Amino acid sequence: MTGVTGAVAEVAGGPARATALARDLGEFRAQVRSWCQAHVPADWRTTQAGVSEAEFAAFQQWWFRELRGAGYAVPHWPAEWGGGLSAAEQVVLYSELAAHDAPRLVLAFVSIHHAASTLLAAGTDEQRRRHLPAILDGEIWVQGFSEPEAGSDLASLRTTARREGDTFVVNGQKLWASGALHADWCLLLARTDTAAPKRRGISYFLLDMRSPGIDVRPIRNAVGESHFCEIFLTDVPVPAANLVGPENAGWRVAQETLGAERGMTMLELAERLGNAGFRWLVEACSRAGVLADSLVADRLAAFETEIAGLRALCLGLVERHEAGTAGPADASVVKLYYSELLQRMTGFGTEISGVRAHTALSKPASSGWESGAWMLDFIGSWEWTIPGGSSEIQRTIIAERGLGMPRAAS
Amino acid sequence: MTAGSQTAGPEPGEFEELHDELRAVARDLLSKIPPPAPADWGQLAASGWLGLEVPDAQGGAGATFAETAVILTELGRAATSSPYLGAIAGGVGALLELAPSAGRDELLRQAAAGEALPVAVLADGSDESIWAEAGGVPFRLERTPGGLRLRGHAGFVPDAAEASTLLLLALDAVGEPVIVDRRPGPFAIGLEAQPVLDSTRRLARVTADGAEVPEESVWRFAGDPGAAVGRLLDRAAVAVACDSLGLSEAMLSATVAYAGVRQQFGRPIGSFQAVQHACADLLVQVSVSRELVRAAVARLASRDPEASVAAAMAKAHASATAVEVAGKAMQLHGGIGYTWESGIHVYLKRAALNRSLFGSPAAHRRRLAARYLGWPGAAGRR
Repeated sequence: MTGVTGAVAEVAGGPARATALARDLGEFRAQVRSWCQAHVPADWRTTQAGVSEAEFAAFQQWWFRELRGAGYAVPHWPAEWGGGLSAAEQVVLYSELAAHDAPRLVLAFVSIHHAASTLLAAGTDEQRRRHLPAILDGEIWVQGFSEPEAGSDLASLRTTARREGDTFVVNGQKLWASGALHADWCLLLARTDTAAPKRRGISYFLLDMRSPGIDVRPIRNAVGESHFCEIFLTDVPVPAANLVGPENAGWRVAQETLGAERGMTMLELAERLGNAGFRWLVEACSRAGVLADSLVADRLAAFETEIAGLRALCLGLVERHEAGTAGPADASVVKLYYSELLQRMTGFGTEISGVRAHTALSKPASSGWESGAWMLDFIGSWEWTIPGGSSEIQRTIIAERGLGMPRAAS
Repeated sequence: MTAGSQTAGPEPGEFEELHDELRAVARDLLSKIPPPAPADWGQLAASGWLGLEVPDAQGGAGATFAETAVILTELGRAATSSPYLGAIAGGVGALLELAPSAGRDELLRQAAAGEALPVAVLADGSDESIWAEAGGVPFRLERTPGGLRLRGHAGFVPDAAEASTLLLLALDAVGEPVIVDRRPGPFAIGLEAQPVLDSTRRLARVTADGAEVPEESVWRFAGDPGAAVGRLLDRAAVAVACDSLGLSEAMLSATVAYAGVRQQFGRPIGSFQAVQHACADLLVQVSVSRELVRAAVARLASRDPEASVAAAMAKAHASATAVEVAGKAMQLHGGIGYTWESGIHVYLKRAALNRSLFGSPAAHRRRLAARYLGWPGAAGRR
């Protein structure tokens, strides 16, 4: 399997800049490769198909420890906290993990990316000391942002946090909290000033999920999985020490930390799409006996071209973040392009695989957004075009902030 | 990589810091030439743009294709009419692949100075298959008792009719690719202009029907001839991709500017989401094209053996995107956009011609797809 993925990764060819970056990274790449060969379980896709939530969580925690042991779990963190790989090394790491079809860190995703970047950018020393090492030990975080009436218009959120001395008392309801069933802590946005304009009355909290008054209910999604949850908050006490940034500055904190890592996290996903995703698409066409069909070949080549473009876009975003020159809509361009490319690719995989695509009743847990169970992947792709700013919101952001077009009338 | 033309070449990226300046100067100068008025070739020579890749010793800048690509992109942005594509992307590119000789070096010097216009004839533009398969060399050299004779034809060759020297890609008597240098006089070559709707380009059909070729007109490649031919074809395709990218950027920016000032229903039309979202989609497509073109240029400039994959992707994407962007520009400019005077038709015609020059998107995707059949997973493996 390794030979195949390696070979395909070579011919699929990343952008020239990746080559340039990687030129001095040959040794690191060889090290990651041999680690992957020794540590990525050959049969994880089989063993993880149709597992329970508990088995999934246990597998994720095991894989996180494996990566941590090699220094690959939090490569983007500062060295003092256990990371310290350069951006170029991270690019190599993610491309090799993808080429070796390693399981994805799904459960720890919010912990190592969003929670960590928020703590590093806006947290207190005490908050960092308390949580960053704990995350390395497996502490799981969930994001509590969206609400029933605050989706694309997140700033309309209604959950309140009322100050009572050194404690805030939280009441409200959060929605689409992915992985909340397993979470130890929650990144919470709540309204602390109901009289202020909607963006100026929000505060950012760290919420201990063991607090009294929290009720987590899974919501079954269109794929049939239940990782999304509703979180009901009834008189939940949150110590004022768990405030991130100043009171009523939560919106700014969220904005500053939301896009911080989009480049690298998107690059990981682009590498996945370019390795396993495209390889399976070619295999699906081969199985269906249509690989030599000129229309099919044309579609495949168009996808390969778009994936190469996506990888280069992600790399460019990473570079501009490093240089501090990222444009205000750069992350939106990448998110919009990835999500719609994923949807078109998985849709094509479904179409080309025929009825067979509908017989894969479950997909392996811990896989990426393209697992090869095409119909489920296709449905799952809406989990990319809807959340995190829907495609429609992204287009408006790109037009107004990226192109400077006049604001739409509201 | 084969030896020869590699001696003391510049490092890729060596000139990168000059790109912004080069781009700004070119943009300013070219914006003053309204298409389809031809650019003043002497001015282009004086600006140093003709000899960017020509070695210092021949009066050039000793830079790389990456710098030539900056000019190519700006020529597309301004829809400039000039023989840069045939002579600099093509002719100088071909000369640089040849084994150094006094004749070649002198021609390079003249090309850099704007004194000669060497135009490469690499492929028959009426034959799409050459980009899908190897071996589309348009001319053949035959050894006869009376000496060497050249046969073959190539249609839709950019700038061939204006050339001072044609550099014809041919297979010699043993089937090895060579360049046949044809200056005015020594042997008869048919040249027939092929007018096209794009008023900024000049295409011609080149025919050799048994023309006598003096031995000294046969020039050999410095390295592996097959690889050199592949690089030249890729280079031509990427040169057009650069043009299409510049053209796309120009049309998107013109459309966004127009949508910001054109008022309907009491608001700028750019404040309507239908217009905003159309422009956002164009920006995404142009951004992807830019990345693919950048990658292909970098790989060609560093003579990366994987360059042909990147070249196919860049040409396929950028040349199709440009048609989409120019078409949407005409649409969003409304009735004004459809007028002759607006000039958007110039861009749309050039974009559509670019799409067909040096391999259509479909032809380049065929090149990419041919690789899949050999992939290990494609043999029906589960």
